[in-house]
Amino acid sequence: MIEFADAKLDTETAESVRAHIAACGECRSEFESFTLTLGALDAVPSNPPTHRLRAQVMGSIESEKLTLRSQAAWASSIRDAEAPRPRLRLPWIQYVLQAAGVCTLVALGFILGERTATQRQIADLRARVDTVGQLVEQSVLQKRPSGDRLETVLTAASTGKPDERVIDGLINALAFDPSVNVRLNALSALYAHADQEVVRAGVLACLPREANPLVQVSMIDFLVATRAREASPELRRLASDEKANADVRDSARRAIDLL
Amino acid sequence: MLPAPEILVPAISSGNKWRRPFAVETEAPPSDHELMLAVRDGDLDRLGELFERHHGPLFGYLTKLTGNRSAAEDISQIVFQRMLKYRHTYRDEGKFTSWMYHLARRCATDHYRKATSAPIAVDPSDLAAHADEARSADESASRRDDHALLQRALSRLDRDEREVLLLSRLQELSFAEVAQILECSVGAARVRAHRALRALRDHYFKMQKEPLT
Repeated sequence: MIEFADAKLDTETAESVRAHIAACGECRSEFESFTLTLGALDAVPSNPPTHRLRAQVMGSIESEKLTLRSQAAWASSIRDAEAPRPRLRLPWIQYVLQAAGVCTLVALGFILGERTATQRQIADLRARVDTVGQLVEQSVLQKRPSGDRLETVLTAASTGKPDERVIDGLINALAFDPSVNVRLNALSALYAHADQEVVRAGVLACLPREANPLVQVSMIDFLVATRAREASPELRRLASDEKANADVRDSARRAIDLL
Repeated sequence: MLPAPEILVPAISSGNKWRRPFAVETEAPPSDHELMLAVRDGDLDRLGELFERHHGPLFGYLTKLTGNRSAAEDISQIVFQRMLKYRHTYRDEGKFTSWMYHLARRCATDHYRKATSAPIAVDPSDLAAHADEARSADESASRRDDHALLQRALSRLDRDEREVLLLSRLQELSFAEVAQILECSVGAARVRAHRALRALRDHYFKMQKEPLT
């Protein structure tokens, strides 16, 4: 009826509705009352918002532009500073890249397989990630100061179009880094690559092993923002997990509704 | 006879250094989708253009949805800030307005959740509307105002009913897109909009008949 009133129906359907309304007194009366109501609804004036809205939105845009510029300048200075002493970082990078390679294989296998991931596939991926996590946790990552690890993540975040290894490094940091701050920054950096399925699958695989409620809620927000419907089984598990933080359970329930 | 030499003049804004004089540039303005893709790729100024195009209808929709101009302004601001924050999640296959109202729906949900646990700061310009909702002494005067009457009838619907009805009134959205935003089937969206319209009509007509006290 609404579509008929708005002349949004195709000609044939509109003609049949029109004929029916002409012949049926009850429907004619209903249609007239609907038309009156819709007319009144559309006639409610909408005054423009105050100038505050424009000022604040434009301010946010300028602020974001400044942040991007400062990040780029900072990353550039970091790269310049690192240039004379590449060997110092090489062993760590090699180790991370090896772990990243393993994760890449796992994630690519996940993607190249059936797109509609079953719980069993996710569980398999989770198990493999846990195995890699134990290896990494006991090795180099924890031996580096968290400031250095955060610096690496921020540098990766500021890279315009990073290659797969950088993305894998970010997923690694999200999965295995012992610092909440580093994990949150890695997740924030992954937003820039959320259009890649491997990123969504990576965040989803990291969620079950995450213990910090703040990072858990951030991961759930990420999965909702990227409309990762494949996260539903894991979200249902979290929502019903009595041991999970109440905010995390709430967040998971809300995410299930939204997805 | 030799043909007259072609005269070229400096171009002011085009990428080419020279153009033919009096050439009419017929290039269509970029679509919303193209602008948002540019934002996603780092040209953040394009979001300003999208704001100019869409903040009016968005604010109007949110004002009717919440019945509160101040809240509508806050939510509108959050919608554009989320566009900025989540610009990388914008998909190529999407339609910008659908995405915008999808974000608006989530922002409004967050707003209602917060509103249940904390009092809302009231804009002085909304005092009349709030007083009207509270059935104060001004109510009988407001009833004479058809717009106020309709807004009050709207406020008596469930939020879900208001949402589907107002989304279906937006010219830029088809029912298929409304269904996508509400994450339901097109048929379900139609049925819900029809029920909401019927409920609004019943409230509206009933209020019109209520005696002035």
